Amino acid sequence: MSGWKVTREIAKRDLLDLWRAKMLLVFFILMPLLFMTMFGFIYPPTVQVNPYSGQIPSQYPNLNLAIIQQDNGQIARNVEAQFIQIAQSQGIFTVSEMTDYSTARNGIVKGQLLGIVVIPQGFSAAIQADAQATIQVTVDQTNPSVAAAVQAEVAEIFGAIEAQISTQYLQNSDSAINPTFALQPMAITSIPLIAGVPTSFEYLAPSFMALTVITGALNGVSTAISREKEQGTMDGLLVAPIPRQAVILGKVAAQTVRGLIQGFLILGLSMLLFGVVIYGSPITMLLVMVLGVASFIGVGIIMTSLAPEQETAQMMTTLLQFPMMFLSGILFPIAQLPVAVQYIGKAFPLYYAADALRKVVILNASVTIIMPDLLVLLAYSVVTMAIAVPIFNRAMSR
Amino acid sequence: MKHDMTFQRTDLAPLSNYAIETHGLTKKFGSFTAVDHIDLAVPKGEIYGFLGPNGAGKSTTIRMLCTLLKPTSGTGKVAGFNIDSEANEVRKRIGLVSEKLIMYTRLTAEQNLMFFGKLYGMDNAELKLKVAELLDMMKLTPFKDRSVGGFSSGMRQRMNLIRALIHDPEIIFLDEPTTALDPQSTKFVRDTVLDLKRGGHTIILTTHIMEEADELSDKISIIDHGKIMATGTVAGLKEEYGTQSMLEVFLTVTGRELRDSASDRVSMKAVGRM
Repeated sequence: MSGWKVTREIAKRDLLDLWRAKMLLVFFILMPLLFMTMFGFIYPPTVQVNPYSGQIPSQYPNLNLAIIQQDNGQIARNVEAQFIQIAQSQGIFTVSEMTDYSTARNGIVKGQLLGIVVIPQGFSAAIQADAQATIQVTVDQTNPSVAAAVQAEVAEIFGAIEAQISTQYLQNSDSAINPTFALQPMAITSIPLIAGVPTSFEYLAPSFMALTVITGALNGVSTAISREKEQGTMDGLLVAPIPRQAVILGKVAAQTVRGLIQGFLILGLSMLLFGVVIYGSPITMLLVMVLGVASFIGVGIIMTSLAPEQETAQMMTTLLQFPMMFLSGILFPIAQLPVAVQYIGKAFPLYYAADALRKVVILNASVTIIMPDLLVLLAYSVVTMAIAVPIFNRAMSR
Repeated sequence: MKHDMTFQRTDLAPLSNYAIETHGLTKKFGSFTAVDHIDLAVPKGEIYGFLGPNGAGKSTTIRMLCTLLKPTSGTGKVAGFNIDSEANEVRKRIGLVSEKLIMYTRLTAEQNLMFFGKLYGMDNAELKLKVAELLDMMKLTPFKDRSVGGFSSGMRQRMNLIRALIHDPEIIFLDEPTTALDPQSTKFVRDTVLDLKRGGHTIILTTHIMEEADELSDKISIIDHGKIMATGTVAGLKEEYGTQSMLEVFLTVTGRELRDSASDRVSMKAVGRM
């Protein structure tokens, strides 16, 4: 038989093998369907232009923003009202009026807000005196691309308000015109959340750490158990007088250690090669990663207990991993996604692990600040392990 | 080379004359009955042959007795303990040698045996001595620091035997132990089985090799379609079926047709053979 015919026969045999593995075939078909559906939501094929403004809407609609009014003057209140009206009518921001800056700052750290606009004391007096007034803006620096979007949108809205103030000034002024004030009645200054300017890499590094640790655990447990089943060593474990749970917990412990080693390797390399600065506590980071791993181990065990062989188990975990990676805010902020899809992303524990790690690394967030994320990860761990253990036991002794 | 190994047991379960007893033991997979109300009584200290064609229910029965499968109904006692409600007590007293290598191929021989020995609660010092002794008996001492993945099939089966014996079990299940072995390894394994019997162990042997069953077994049960079709001593069965050949006894009891039915495939898949 010629070489080409042999090649063809071998290819045919491999494809026939896939055809005969029905569970594997189902996931093999589901994977591309799921990915394209997902990408269709993330990157819609057509862009809807706003019929009123003629603008292409921001890729980050309805961002949560707080506005703090520290000036009681009429001008300040008018500017505030105009800002809120423009921001909300165009779907740019969802604005909350707040009174205390430190509370609002905590809102950013906790992930409830993406920016704060402060109209400081003296704003109205400055405008009345034809002197440039200041607007202060604080953004979530853990998320450079969203931060840039917030700053740009805030600047654009205030630009529109500023143009009205300029026009009124020029029309109504009956004395010498202050050209600086005429050109730019308001200046926007930035109040940083943290020292320094985090780069996009500093957004990505903790995200990739979380991703590596969690997917390592998911794949690792799944592969470890299914390999034992196929090799026959699972019989050697199950015929020994040991608790069944010890088998799972032993695998979990090993995969957790492996995941943590990889996670800290990524962190170390990020610091050495790319200058990433870690502002937070390594112990807190370790806690986040351990809980992140624990939140996924149960899922890995369930999949591998149900899969007839290792290849199917791997495909099942891949099917979970890719949507998770794209929808959990690892590669880009989920604020960019449609609101409904954001909820899907927030259903994955990876979202909370990455979010908590970013806050610890960039904002030096304490355990108290990231407690909501930690509680979600803990709940996932408990629930998935409670489901996984009996499924594993049944699969091993059916 | 004289084969002379001592596997003397020092403590035997005192309460029953039988190492294994089952009453109405049944296993169903969905609507398919793999093992159908079998009654077994395996005397202590004997080599008990458990024969049957492919898909007959041998491996399913063995897996139930080893507590790897839960019975659907019926009872079974191994070493005096219930296989369902006292599974851990059963596991302390049994060893399993299957045709698959139950070893981690990346670990060395010694690392594998130390790991499995610790699962039986053996302390380090005792375990090291035991491992060294068994490796020596099985002529594997020169290979103790080599990865098991590089072992020949004969060496792997000897490793399987060591693993099954490391905690000095009363009862040893040998599931087709000489399949695919060369003649020298086959002889070694068979001689080891006889040594184990001399040492007071009870052995359940499943095999397709009739000569092996004939040579080693004190008593035999033949299973087919999930039911025990015949039980007796080798000599007794030969006399009953009027032949000097164990193969003829087997074929008379189970028939001469090839076994290609769907039920055989379901059974084999269920016990992970497919």
